[in-house]
Amino acid sequence: MYDQIVMAAYTFARGPMLWAAALILCVGVIYRIRELYCLTIRKEKQSLPATVSTTTPTQTPEERTLDRLARIQQSAFAVHPVMFFVSILFHACLFAAPLLALGHSLEVYRAWGITPPSLPEPLIDIMTATILVCGLFFLMRRLVLPRVQAISGIADYVLLGCVMAPFLTGFCAYHQWFDYTTVITLHLLAGNVLLIVLPFTKIGHMIFFFFVRLCISSEFGPARGSRDWKV
Amino acid sequence: MRPDTHHTEPLNMTSLQETLRHHKKRMSLNLKACAGCSLCAESCFLFELNDHDPCYMPSYKVLNSLGRLYRKRGRVTQTQLHDMADLVWHNCVLCGRCYCPFGINIPAMISLARQILREQNIAGVYPHSLGAPVEKEPP
Repeated sequence: MYDQIVMAAYTFARGPMLWAAALILCVGVIYRIRELYCLTIRKEKQSLPATVSTTTPTQTPEERTLDRLARIQQSAFAVHPVMFFVSILFHACLFAAPLLALGHSLEVYRAWGITPPSLPEPLIDIMTATILVCGLFFLMRRLVLPRVQAISGIADYVLLGCVMAPFLTGFCAYHQWFDYTTVITLHLLAGNVLLIVLPFTKIGHMIFFFFVRLCISSEFGPARGSRDWKV
Repeated sequence: MRPDTHHTEPLNMTSLQETLRHHKKRMSLNLKACAGCSLCAESCFLFELNDHDPCYMPSYKVLNSLGRLYRKRGRVTQTQLHDMADLVWHNCVLCGRCYCPFGINIPAMISLARQILREQNIAGVYPHSLGAPVEKEPP
């Protein structure tokens, strides 16, 4: 009976649920981007030169170096170096591991006959372990630091769980821990749930981040940006 | 917390909910984009001045003023509105120096919270964090 339920869940998660999750993800991402476009307007052209020098012509090379150092000192890299590196590592692995996992490539090959690029399995295993360790770091940070505690709610913990679940189950499945069929079914279900909630929750900062940082002009932005928030 | 009896003036719920409805998309997007990373904290000089008290964090101020109004769809009490006024006036000078790694327009959100409170005839005064205003001695 248990095996039948697991197999039914496996078939469902691998078939209709996966298609539904992919569709919801695509529609959700398009909806979010459209929403961002509606809430912003094209920036008015200014008569100022395209690039404004941040240093005055009278600055000596030493002063320019000091200016650069001061900017670095004020950045997130200098203020929160641990958080900065953990965040970058976590997000890089979070993107790369699912897209370049050999198991996922094989599934795509079986379905459509094309072989997407993949990385060696031991490397993906290390990346998954990194994600799990970083996730634990974020959880501890949320539980221990008063400043993060003050702005944390149940939803934050649930969403962190949603993000970690596919990786934890994937890690267990790769190492053949517990009952393989159950673990891989949970992996599929957790992955689909993550894809579904992605555009509609805080994890949606994945879309928001790139749009805002690259398209909207801001004092701290890496790009000049062509759009601005509507007043 | 103030007792409710101190604020007897009724709330204009129609105006409150109308303003919330008008800015719903903007609020929703900005509140959903906040990952609660707390990296905005150090960009607030009041946070630095007040021994890193989380109440002075830009994200805390937004989530507990506008965020609360949005979540409760405007169904708040006078006391809660006055607590929000403390956050957006007393704990913030709206200098616009707060920085969000996700690009959330925090000053605009605080400004919107102030607008909503002003519509309810609630306005803040001098930021206590910078010291109470000096009262002149009577001659």
